[in-house]
Amino acid sequence: MNNKENESIVLEEYENEFSYKKSKSNLNIEFNRVAFIFFVFLAISIIYSIQLLHLGSLKLNFNEIKPLINKINYRADIIDRNGNYIVKTVSTINVGIKPKEIINKKHLLLMLNYIYENRDFSKIEKKINSNKFFYLEKNINPKRYEELMLLGDKSIKSEESLIRLYPQDNLFSHIIGQIDDNNNGISGIEKSFDTELKKIKEPLKLTLDTDIQFLIRSELLRFQEIFRAKGSAAILMNVNDGEILAMVSLPDFNLNKRETIKDLNYINRVTKGTYELGSVFKTFTIASGINAGLIEPDTEFLDSKKNISCGKNHSIGEYDDEIPSDLTVEQILVKSGNIGSVRIARTVGIEKHKSFLKSIGILGKIDFDIEEVGKPQKIDWHEGCKLETISFGHGITTTILQLAKGYSIIVNGGYDIKPTLVKKTLDKEIKNKKILKNDVSKKMNPILRKVVLEGTAKQVNVNGYQVGGKTGTAQQARDKKYSKIKINTLASIFPSDNPKYVLVVMLESPKTASEYVYKYRHKKGSYKGSPYNTAGWTSVEAAGQIIEKIGPILATKYIEN
Amino acid sequence: MKKPLLIISIVALILMTSFVKNSTKKIEDKIFILNGNISSLKSELGDVLLEYNYLSSPKKLIAYQSKYFENDLIKIDITKIKEITLNKEDLEITNLINKIQTHE
Repeated sequence: MNNKENESIVLEEYENEFSYKKSKSNLNIEFNRVAFIFFVFLAISIIYSIQLLHLGSLKLNFNEIKPLINKINYRADIIDRNGNYIVKTVSTINVGIKPKEIINKKHLLLMLNYIYENRDFSKIEKKINSNKFFYLEKNINPKRYEELMLLGDKSIKSEESLIRLYPQDNLFSHIIGQIDDNNNGISGIEKSFDTELKKIKEPLKLTLDTDIQFLIRSELLRFQEIFRAKGSAAILMNVNDGEILAMVSLPDFNLNKRETIKDLNYINRVTKGTYELGSVFKTFTIASGINAGLIEPDTEFLDSKKNISCGKNHSIGEYDDEIPSDLTVEQILVKSGNIGSVRIARTVGIEKHKSFLKSIGILGKIDFDIEEVGKPQKIDWHEGCKLETISFGHGITTTILQLAKGYSIIVNGGYDIKPTLVKKTLDKEIKNKKILKNDVSKKMNPILRKVVLEGTAKQVNVNGYQVGGKTGTAQQARDKKYSKIKINTLASIFPSDNPKYVLVVMLESPKTASEYVYKYRHKKGSYKGSPYNTAGWTSVEAAGQIIEKIGPILATKYIEN
Repeated sequence: MKKPLLIISIVALILMTSFVKNSTKKIEDKIFILNGNISSLKSELGDVLLEYNYLSSPKKLIAYQSKYFENDLIKIDITKIKEITLNKEDLEITNLINKIQTHE
């Protein structure tokens, strides 16, 4: 019993290790969950905001919206300085037939016969029977296109194509040039600006003026016919910036016909043809002397012989026996004296004269906007009497373009210019470098004016324009001998007090015109028939008529405010 | 206190950005449509200008002149061209050739 009594139940307090407590760690978990969700939302909102800001800052490129211009045969348009189209690319539709898809051959032929009344249907039938796709009509007009489509035959297929249109036909043919069937330029601006024309979206702006180009061309055509010339050329250029307003070479061709020109008579006579231009070079000889500081306009050359010899058996004489033996520099140019020019050139010397001609761009190939440029023949300055003959424009060849450039530099104050056909944007304007002394233009301009007033170019003295200039009648070389075929040139500048334009007119192989009536400009009256086929009676008259026509446009349209 | 403010401001900014973006999208759509219209008008203008250039080209004008008028065109004498300028509400008429000379 005692044992039982001793038996006691010991109740020990059981301490359960698990007890519910509001511990700090539980609170942390709660907060962390909220914070986590908050930060997730924050991160999402930041990403969303960044995305929105990015989209908001994006600028819409509207050029991308425009229809893509990588169409086959795309070329940019070409416009003149006034925004008139010279060349325009237009879309047209070509319609062809896929014979395999013809629903009813007889019905189709009947309907085509109705639409095309004057077509040879045996040929069309043959083509249909050949089962190969063929073009029914290219560049179809909208009315006929609608008629064909209304036939509802699924074998009639149409495709859009681009073609080049030349609204002025022949007017700019030598400048613009041609393209081949693969849309590649093969001559003129089309060739030299081929890559640009395929890329640019805006039209290519040229320096040319359509109205002036037309007037010059029509006058040249008229005088080419009057004097039965083989060809002719003219260029009108701004002497200060080299922008060409008109450039005509005849004969020309219709660009819309896309003919292959192989006849050499269609050469670009302004840029490609190189000629001995004769007395127009005397201006360069005198300018060279003034630039070197060796002569003045009133410097006298006395006791000049009628004939001088140089080299091996080479004799140089005056074209006119009445030219006095005592002449000042000014009189040498006014009377176009050969001997006087030779004496001036000898005074200047080979090196200085060569360097002068090089500086004004007469020697060597000119860097121009089209690739059709001629290369003047290489000169051996120490051969025979080269310096002497070059002094009056023989034994030296150059292009009409280079002649215009040379005259421009002489009269514009002596600044170098780069003749151009493409209008420059304002940011690309370059200040021209001065290459001649100040007094060259000051002294040369009045002399050139005097040549027109008293010399061989009286017929270009159009009232109100103060034209100055120099004529050149050069015999063409044939089989290493001078022939009777002439190249008649007038290089003119106006107004001579402050020249703005240079106009060069050249007639190749002109004849006398017995029926043409010359209306004198220096005195009253007129004269019927040209006694000589020299420049004074041919190209000077043409230039006078040209200036009379284009002058009012130049004076009113391009006057500086 | 700071946290709700922060949350509210973020939500407000998101909403504002959405509204701004929505309105700019509408403007962009309008510009897109206008641009499309301008593009087609430009193309039409080009065609009309080409037609105008062709019909009013010197060659055509000379042809019309000889067809419809009896008299030949005359050359303008530059010495007879006058220039009208507005000088303090008064019209001044001067010879163009004088102006050229003074410019020289």
